[in-house]
Amino acid sequence: MAPSQPSSGDEEAFDIVATYRRLLSEDPDLTMPVAAIESLIVGLTNTPSTTVSETLDLVSKLTAQLKSGVSNPISLSAGTDLFQQYLISNLQRARGDFDQARSHLVQNGRLFIERAKAARETIAGFGKHFVRDGNTVLTNGGSRVVGALLRNAAESSNGSGRGSIRFRVIYVVSHSATGGSAEESETAANIAALRERDIPVAEIPPTAIAYCMDMVTSCFVGAEGVVENGGVVSRLGTYQMASLAKAAGKPFYVVSESHKFVRLYPLGQSDLGIEQNIVDFRTARSSEEKESAKDEGVADLEGEGAMSSRRSCTPGDELDYTPPRLISGIITEGGVLLPSAVSEELIKIWF
Amino acid sequence: MPSSMVGQTPSLTGFLKSLKQNDIENSIELFISLLKRRQIKNSRPCAIATTHLLLRVVAEPKRKWDAQKLIARVRNVGRRLIAAQPREMAVGNIVRRVLGVIREVAERDEDPLTDSEFSGSASPITEEFQRPALPTRFSEFSPLHGAAAMPHNMHSGRPGTADSVSMDLGGTPQRPALLSTNASYAGQGPPGTSLFSILQHPQGRSPVATPPPGTQSPVTGPSPSRRAIGGEIPEKLDIKAEVIDGIKELQDELDVVDNQIAESALDHIHSNEIILTHTSSQTVQKFLLTAARKRKFTLFHAEAYPNNHEATHVTILNGAQGEDDSDERWKPLTSLGITVILIPDSAVFAPMSRINKVILAPHAVLANGSLLAAAGASTIALAAKTHHVPVVVLSGVYKLSPVYPFDTDELIEYGDPSKVVPFEEAEFTDKVDIVNPLYDWVDCDLVDLYITNLGGHAPSYLYRIVADHYRVEDIDLNAKLDAVAKKG
Repeated sequence: MAPSQPSSGDEEAFDIVATYRRLLSEDPDLTMPVAAIESLIVGLTNTPSTTVSETLDLVSKLTAQLKSGVSNPISLSAGTDLFQQYLISNLQRARGDFDQARSHLVQNGRLFIERAKAARETIAGFGKHFVRDGNTVLTNGGSRVVGALLRNAAESSNGSGRGSIRFRVIYVVSHSATGGSAEESETAANIAALRERDIPVAEIPPTAIAYCMDMVTSCFVGAEGVVENGGVVSRLGTYQMASLAKAAGKPFYVVSESHKFVRLYPLGQSDLGIEQNIVDFRTARSSEEKESAKDEGVADLEGEGAMSSRRSCTPGDELDYTPPRLISGIITEGGVLLPSAVSEELIKIWF
Repeated sequence: MPSSMVGQTPSLTGFLKSLKQNDIENSIELFISLLKRRQIKNSRPCAIATTHLLLRVVAEPKRKWDAQKLIARVRNVGRRLIAAQPREMAVGNIVRRVLGVIREVAERDEDPLTDSEFSGSASPITEEFQRPALPTRFSEFSPLHGAAAMPHNMHSGRPGTADSVSMDLGGTPQRPALLSTNASYAGQGPPGTSLFSILQHPQGRSPVATPPPGTQSPVTGPSPSRRAIGGEIPEKLDIKAEVIDGIKELQDELDVVDNQIAESALDHIHSNEIILTHTSSQTVQKFLLTAARKRKFTLFHAEAYPNNHEATHVTILNGAQGEDDSDERWKPLTSLGITVILIPDSAVFAPMSRINKVILAPHAVLANGSLLAAAGASTIALAAKTHHVPVVVLSGVYKLSPVYPFDTDELIEYGDPSKVVPFEEAEFTDKVDIVNPLYDWVDCDLVDLYITNLGGHAPSYLYRIVADHYRVEDIDLNAKLDAVAKKG
């Protein structure tokens, strides 16, 4: 049986990248991996398939399309990998209940989103354990989970909504040249929410992190993906904060839902698999550096097609990799994991 | 108050004797007051006392238990004990171990029928992904004990046949991590894994899973109805007997902990080494004695003033003494030809450059690999780090607590300040705040190796041991129990 082409059919071609972007823009609370899972489910719905291998083939085609169409595929690949492995293990077990499985997936699309959001709430519930009276918390901007955690700590254990934990927050805010990015509005919303709850919040530029590190009790950051060795891929600036926290002996916690665990093992900043134009050498003469900086060996290895399809990240969306030795703990909805425990969680679904 | 305790100094042995005579409520009350008054202190006596007490609670005569009620009862008792002295983490650890035993026994009772059906479909998948064995010496009743064996054989025995489980260990043990997809969660998808929890069918069972023959659509929760064929009443009695067996296993484990730790002494202590330790810990003494029989080394012993120095002096001169007032004594190290140098705590940093190893015994080990040890340990560990001296911590698994240390300050207990500055010096004590912390918190970065009764582990591996010995649902004893336990 020839597998059906995902883009052919009676309706117009199913554009998974457009669906993914649409889902993200419609629901600001949605994380990228969950949006990826959702768009794969929509893809499954729109394209009929009757056999296990057809379905798996379809999913891997859609996944490949999605990954090549988005400039930063790390976070969403956590979702797609999870979904693929789940399908493989479940459909193998089915042997006859295939339609049931498929319809279960298709019908429960919303349920997955709800569960993912519930995970965020569970994590936020840990907030009051980590933040104590008199603490000063340092955080990077823009993470919804961290925002929820701090809000929860602010409101905790007091019915009137004014919490009984008195802590302060230092927010690292980088005012980028482009301005008005999604990250900034998220940060501003978080800060406003905390200030409303009587939590003093200070905004500092990234250059002041080392300066204020002495008065900080602990650091919390969010993550786009948690990689196999327990490190995290997160917004640019996280590695910096982690290094400074380690040097000052302050605990550095990463807050992330467990569906962001991704099977990647980066050996360094350049090993993330995405193009980022963060370090851009120029001279007075050459305008763009791209072709000259590229290593010839790399171009031969990967071929022209692969190079051109990877777009570089937009400024404001850049990522860096923080190695596990700088991380004190990863707070997930299953509790606080040590970085060394991450690989075990991943092995459980992959093997 | 129980009359048998009148006239004796309350202590562990007195308490254990009185357990036989008193009824359960009185025993619990007695233990709580002993804990509150710190007449029972230190990890091992507390652990032993808790184990014996819980054994009495479970073995309550003329009481038939089913799993849920037993769990609830142990949780209640455990909550009270922990509240009596929250910093004695060994009490909470034992309570959680017992709860784990009960849950395992309950699961084993529920699953025998389903697993035999399921084994057929499970085996092709699992065999494909087998990995080389990790040696495990899990206590039989540790929650993952069976998981170390072939999963689909795990529950093939009838309830109560512990032999079938241990026999399977001789087969190809697998990494425990793999097996959450298997038999004990019969009928579900890959459910034990939190990563898949987001995609799970709402009732906790994937509808695509092969249901055992006889059932049709997904059934909510575990399926007690299927088990009913085997007869429920005999199983309730079995639960009690099996849990009692499990707790006795725990007692045995507590008895042999020091011996098991000492087994690896020769691997770690070599001839002509210079070792540093502090306090009068029995575990360390036994460890060193075992090595001293075959090796000659030098020991620097920091005296741990002001809380432990007298006991340390006695230990050095006369040998380690057994718990409380027991008459057991072991030989002092000096009698075996070992040079022991007693140093004050302030002198720990000076000889550190010549020291080969530091050996510490903790009060409690926390889930992230950090530990609480007698005051002075932090200084020693920091000094060792500066000079790159390996720090080895000897600790039974019963001291390993699944609690994550959110606030390390809370875990430190403070003792009698008059030991630092006696109250007679009133002028001084008037003007100055004197604190006498009994414990120090040592971060996991400073420890190189944990030697437990299961062998040696890196601090980053401890999370695994915690996962093997404690159930997630038992970590927070204040949480409400699920009405229908989904995982048994």
